[in-house]
Amino acid sequence: MTKKKKSLEETATSETLTQPIAIETATAEDLKTRLEEIKGYDGVIGYILRNATSATIDLKDPTKLIEYAILSSSALDAAEELSELFNLGDTRDILVEGKDTKILSLTIGENRISIFLEKNADIEKPLKKLHKF
Amino acid sequence: MTENDVYAIALQNALDEIRNACPDIQHAFIFKETGEIVAGDAETPQKIIVRVLDAFNGIFNRAEAIGGVEAVTLKCGGGTVALHSFGEHHLVMVTSANADLNYINTLTRVLIPTVLKLLEKISPTPLKNIPTPSPPQTPKPTTILTPTPTPPVEEKEAFEEPAIQKPIEEELKTEIPSFEVPATQLIVENIGGLLVPSDTVRIDNETLTQWENLFEGKKVEYVEIETFDGKTTKCKVKPIKDSKYFGKGIVQIPEKMQLTLEIKKGELVRVRPIIE
Repeated sequence: MTKKKKSLEETATSETLTQPIAIETATAEDLKTRLEEIKGYDGVIGYILRNATSATIDLKDPTKLIEYAILSSSALDAAEELSELFNLGDTRDILVEGKDTKILSLTIGENRISIFLEKNADIEKPLKKLHKF
Repeated sequence: MTENDVYAIALQNALDEIRNACPDIQHAFIFKETGEIVAGDAETPQKIIVRVLDAFNGIFNRAEAIGGVEAVTLKCGGGTVALHSFGEHHLVMVTSANADLNYINTLTRVLIPTVLKLLEKISPTPLKNIPTPSPPQTPKPTTILTPTPTPPVEEKEAFEEPAIQKPIEEELKTEIPSFEVPATQLIVENIGGLLVPSDTVRIDNETLTQWENLFEGKKVEYVEIETFDGKTTKCKVKPIKDSKYFGKGIVQIPEKMQLTLEIKKGELVRVRPIIE
């Protein structure tokens, strides 16, 4: 992930500025479309899609928006730390299960995604949908 | 042996058994909400465990929004990190990429809560909670020392206190022998060596001394062993000789007696002193 960040910075400073950003935006747009579809799945409460340039948040209960955003960010940070500590290679996803809700967080390219689901909702379907690249 | 020791030994045994059953578990340890590591494997350095706790702490601190953390599963290319919460205990496991996660999860989600529930049921670890019969303190007339203006009647009462306390002192003394020593939970260990008497178990000298203190120095020569299936036996008791078992909450039981009681090494039994 760090590598990708670095390469993005490098591209941004180079003269060919438009092309990579266009690709990045397209991916984010594509992800957003997929997430919109996922939001319609059974038990899905909402999602957060974030990258260096933008953030899209769609939650059924906006009162928990900040708490969910901080928690999902902490989960992704913990995922990176744990993967590094145990030498586990690339992080695929992290699922935090609570008493009422669960959060599935993952990174695709430069995009940090978190999907909020009801406790008993299926996570495989959203995961499949997101990994169809 | 403290309550914590019983928990630690039982959880360590459970963890070892899980690891024996699932060799794909690379690291496993149990910690409490307080950050105290209750059980773990020798291969995971303390430094790494501390960093892992730190990483999870970030999630725990912000998990109120989802009703607290019940489980965390991190999937990576080279393996999985899983955390399961069981009340105040949290189990962390790192498994290889080929591990059968369903099997491991089922095993841990059944075994660890069962051990914890069992420990809670049998818990009241005994010696820690027993009021040791200390010599009764002489009452202090504190009311006299307080500068608050007390009416003369109260002062008189305060001076009379020692006289009132005397019968209580006597009462306490007569009560001492009636202390019922609750059973201590100990972990079964084999007795090694030749010519092992089949009617004698061995217990930590510290436990025996504590019992003897409770019985005003009377020597504890017999104990009653009770299994969790309700089987009991009375047998002789002697202190453990092997120093590696000191302070481990162990009761060394001869093999023949283990067979009779239908127990084996690693299981918990209740041990109660008998004074004749």
